[in-house]
Amino acid sequence: MSGHAHYREAHPLVFVITHWINLICMIMLAFSGFYIHFPFFDGFMGVARGMHFVAMFVIIINLTFRIVAAFFVKTATQLGSREVDTDIKNWLPQEENKHQFFETVKYYLFFRKEGVISAKYGSLQKIAYLATIPLTYIMAYTGFCLYGPTADWGFFAGGTAMVGGPMSMRIIHYFMMWVFIVFTMIHAYLANIYNLNPSKIIFAWKETDH
Amino acid sequence: MAQEAHGAFYDLLAVRGVSRRDFLKYCSYVAATLGLAETAAPQIAAALEKGTKLKPALWLNGGSCTGCTESMAQVDSPDVATIVLELLSLNYFETIMAAAGEQAEKNIEDTIADGGYLLIYEGAVMMGEDGNTLLVNGEKGTDILQHAAEGADAILAVGACAVDGGWVYAHPNPAGAVGVQSFLDGVKVKTPVVNLPCCPTSPEWVVAMVVQWLLVADDDPALFLEKTALLAKEYHDNYRDADVSLLYPEYIVGSTIHDNCPRRGHFENGEFVTEFGSEEEAKGYCLYKVGCKGPQTYTQCPVTRWNRSVSWCVNSGAPCIGCGGLNWVDNNAPFFKRLSSMQMGGSLGNVQPGSVAAVVGGVAAAALVAHGLGMKAAGRIGDGPPMEEMKAYDRKHGAKKGGDK
Repeated sequence: MSGHAHYREAHPLVFVITHWINLICMIMLAFSGFYIHFPFFDGFMGVARGMHFVAMFVIIINLTFRIVAAFFVKTATQLGSREVDTDIKNWLPQEENKHQFFETVKYYLFFRKEGVISAKYGSLQKIAYLATIPLTYIMAYTGFCLYGPTADWGFFAGGTAMVGGPMSMRIIHYFMMWVFIVFTMIHAYLANIYNLNPSKIIFAWKETDH
Repeated sequence: MAQEAHGAFYDLLAVRGVSRRDFLKYCSYVAATLGLAETAAPQIAAALEKGTKLKPALWLNGGSCTGCTESMAQVDSPDVATIVLELLSLNYFETIMAAAGEQAEKNIEDTIADGGYLLIYEGAVMMGEDGNTLLVNGEKGTDILQHAAEGADAILAVGACAVDGGWVYAHPNPAGAVGVQSFLDGVKVKTPVVNLPCCPTSPEWVVAMVVQWLLVADDDPALFLEKTALLAKEYHDNYRDADVSLLYPEYIVGSTIHDNCPRRGHFENGEFVTEFGSEEEAKGYCLYKVGCKGPQTYTQCPVTRWNRSVSWCVNSGAPCIGCGGLNWVDNNAPFFKRLSSMQMGGSLGNVQPGSVAAVVGGVAAAALVAHGLGMKAAGRIGDGPPMEEMKAYDRKHGAKKGGDK
């Protein structure tokens, strides 16, 4: 699964940049979010809130841009390949992913020895990467329900009333941050478990051969 | 006639030892409570002067601790608020009326028969055991409320309990407590209800509503609703399993306590009280870390303040416990913690969200470490596992070489 090359076609420069923006924003959001949740040192609340609000707008714009770009930018269709096609086709399930979901689960639970045929990404990986889209937007929604300037807009106030008030919304927002934290832990672990070549291409845009 | 009324009103003030100057000061204060400019004070004064005609009113208690009555009665000297409230002829007021027994009950009936009265309701509506959790004079509290509500011009639901059941409504709510609006929705009584939150409610807000009634509404319920800036808030009543829309005066619930808090500067500067009795507390730092619920509580307590505008909870050093919110006990307990606990039920009891998150994060981290060791043991680290030639599905279904790839 990992004994393959990592070429720039897999992650064109524009997506290396969006990935960097995501990472930086996520770190800023989680850190400032933890601080707003419970200020663990003094003198930072104003900055933490400012940081949280800036990073939230940046990450939403970045995600939206990333989705639109998927329809225009071409990326590699297979692991370790230079053959390219429109990115969205490689992001959504491909032919190779068919019938492979349970095989992938079995592989990761050590019930089979051989690696599983997959396309650009494996079945589980694609589910996770696609789920981050609604998750990020829902996270943003819960955030806007708490954000002073927008909290009383009907679209957000309705949601707050539905979950039982601002305190419940705050708790949902807090738990969703943990969903992202757990996602990031698993993502970083699985991406780099075989070797660090995936990090070299996504962060430094440095190609590696097998 | 107007002159006469004018004279009568100032006589009333004089008897109470209140100067005209005190009175006008109070009027500008009421103007602020109503969100009006100070220039509205003379109009308020004029309305009050005219208002010597008594407005009949009933003050009914449901499932209440009488705290709101106490709040109204906290007068250490004769003051203007008392006089304004005396514009209401409270024909029935359990805690402080002189009448008792048959006579008192008859006062309710007479007032309802005459019509044109205000109903002020304090406490939760007790629906449990088919309404038998609250009996007054052998009659169900729910029946008394329904009967009185049907003929009233308007209803003031005073205090958190009357708004949505308050702390009586808190889990597990054995008495079946609900708010006035929710109950009236259920029995299809359409009389308008204006809700005044908090535990107890602020006497100044009740005064403001009486002023509003006399000032702009001219004793007309429709005009009262039209001219008063009202804000609707939706919530789901779990006991009745129904969606309820509550009307509040906008100036009372339009912004959070946090937004108007005198300690807000300390919040922005990141200056917090971490424990009571500390140096930070003596400095009057922000109470956010010791559980202040001001950021999600929508009332203007910091503006009106309490006890004749002397002080209020946060001013006196206590974090806001969110009594102006809906279902406020369940949503805000424990009061000295940043987030409320989640009621998991069973042996888990009430759990802090942070504890749940720590368990989830810890389990995920441990699982990844264990998995990593497994991957190493399976020899997959480095180049990864040997790849399959063809999908398991294709092998099973005897596909041609390459399968459905």
